[in-house]
Amino acid sequence: MDIFANLMMGLSVAITPINILYLLIGAFVGMIVGVIPGFGPSAGLAILLPVTFGMDPIAAIMMLSAIYYGAMYGGTITSILLNTPGESATVASTFDGFPLAKKGRAGPALVMQAAASFVGGTVGVILITILAPMFSQVSRNFGPPEYFLLAVMGMLTLLVMIGANWRLGVISALIGFALGTVGVDLETGQSRYTFGSAELIGGIYFIPIAIGLFGLGELFYAFYTGLHKTGTGGIVQYDKEERFWPTAHDWMSTRWTMVRGSILGFVVGVIPGAGATIASLMAYSTERSVSKHPEKFGTGEMAGLVAPETANNAASSGAMIPLLTLGIPGSASTAVLLSAFLLWGLRPGPLFMEQNPEFAWGLIASMYLGNMALLAISIFAIPLFVLMIKVPYRILGPSVVVVCALGTFSVNASFVETYIMFGAGIAGFFMRLYGFSPAALVLALVLGPLAEEALRQTMTISRGSFSIFIERTPSLWIIGVTIALVALLPLMNRLGKTSSGEAEKSGS
Amino acid sequence: MRIVFLVVLLAAAIFYTYVAFVDLNFLTHTGRPGPGFFPRSIGIAGITFTLWTLVSDLRNSERERSDPARWKDVVLLMALAISYAVMLRLFGGFIATVLFLGISLMILNRGQPVKNAMLTLLIPGGVYLLFDRVLNANMPPALFDLPI
Repeated sequence: MDIFANLMMGLSVAITPINILYLLIGAFVGMIVGVIPGFGPSAGLAILLPVTFGMDPIAAIMMLSAIYYGAMYGGTITSILLNTPGESATVASTFDGFPLAKKGRAGPALVMQAAASFVGGTVGVILITILAPMFSQVSRNFGPPEYFLLAVMGMLTLLVMIGANWRLGVISALIGFALGTVGVDLETGQSRYTFGSAELIGGIYFIPIAIGLFGLGELFYAFYTGLHKTGTGGIVQYDKEERFWPTAHDWMSTRWTMVRGSILGFVVGVIPGAGATIASLMAYSTERSVSKHPEKFGTGEMAGLVAPETANNAASSGAMIPLLTLGIPGSASTAVLLSAFLLWGLRPGPLFMEQNPEFAWGLIASMYLGNMALLAISIFAIPLFVLMIKVPYRILGPSVVVVCALGTFSVNASFVETYIMFGAGIAGFFMRLYGFSPAALVLALVLGPLAEEALRQTMTISRGSFSIFIERTPSLWIIGVTIALVALLPLMNRLGKTSSGEAEKSGS
Repeated sequence: MRIVFLVVLLAAAIFYTYVAFVDLNFLTHTGRPGPGFFPRSIGIAGITFTLWTLVSDLRNSERERSDPARWKDVVLLMALAISYAVMLRLFGGFIATVLFLGISLMILNRGQPVKNAMLTLLIPGGVYLLFDRVLNANMPPALFDLPI
């Protein structure tokens, strides 16, 4: 089979001592990022991206990808031990994770979440292996009209998922689009919004904005919520329990939960804008509805922890499909990964797997290895991560400011970009505080220039006629899928939120 | 404060749109979307949505109950961060980091002078080794010659 041969080739590229070392470093760092409340994979990737500049591209992307899915593993530790999700995709894990810990079953909960994450991540990678080449084949028929529509679909689905605050999401996206117009217009050579500054001729670089919004912005918000004042006295002492390992009943009762969560999570993850958070909430809701004892959810039911954990890791893998095969990031995290690809002169899209097979298959192969490494790290390095949780935020905070500033400067040795990062941090705090969406801003910053270029090329091809969008079959399909998603996603969103509300009520 | 933030956004949107209309052509000379096509569309949409949200907020405004203590801590951290940005330009990466951490930990982590002193030296040292020696990455240079 071609797929098998490609995967073997990918493994031969991935399995070198230096690549494995960077993979392990990325997985470990990803877990640390996930463990720190408020810092999700987006922040970790944005802050650590500059650190990878001196590395070999394959090793660098392997490390960054490991950080991305490693954060999903780590974010659940605080959900279980502290009732504080490490990042948004692990919110659903608190519903039954913390009650399990309070019942004296933190150890089994921690092991089961690691196993569930492994199963979800591995199933996700298997599905990427099978589906990525198929998606690449389909997307080879795509031209500028389709790329414009895909960018629109990505933004629309994200805005729809935002829900009640959709107007603030639109404003956030418009800010991102506006920032994306700064620089020289490629078609006419005219400067836009540079105000005579040589530094702005190349445009506003993505990295300072992402680091500022997700790194500093989250940090400022954490200080606003008083996280730097609260101690860690609320940590459940799992090491004093009688039993650390799950029982046979834990494994048997959740085996189908893992299957359902994996498939559901992957499918939701593929949809641009949906993401791991929605996947985890939907998986929780689905599991509760098929359970023979739905009343137990929210009180420490193992399936209530396993379902969202499997789903969020599968979704992280699913999100790589539109990134690799279409070049369309579906989330802030994959937008950062896309910028990493572009930095190394690689352009994800329909021809990516064909033109860069070692890179593409090396990355996919590394995800198998990464999940295995994370399973081992998740279980055996728990005491180390618990130590990390205990580092007070008032010490962590200034350290994060330092890493953000120096990391930003190291990209292009530019003070202007460093100042932009600080400005984005302050703006990010206010956006977070008043319900705006930094994720929409970042996605628009990446997709905006792509959409503008695609639209202008489309207008050149069609000689100014918009009917090209309905004359081409691939365009019609994308329009149809977009309409279906815009109609269905709010229902999915509401279903997830209703279930989370019921779980919180039953758990109290 | 949210109203103020929206007003600032509205002002920025108006300025952005003004430049789009004054400096950038909507269409090229061949009749295709020009450099002003996207900016004008974004600007008009930005003004519309921001005004809509502002008016809606003004109509539904409940008095924001802000806790001054919460703002104090975050404003303090922002001020420290901005001063760090200035110090980076003046003193370069290493010295600015030492100064910033020393001051920040003294204010935020009171009562632990020994630990603060150790962290003030260890963290910049570790960061300097990582960026300057291991990664060979650019560290901010000082405005005037300094040993580090």
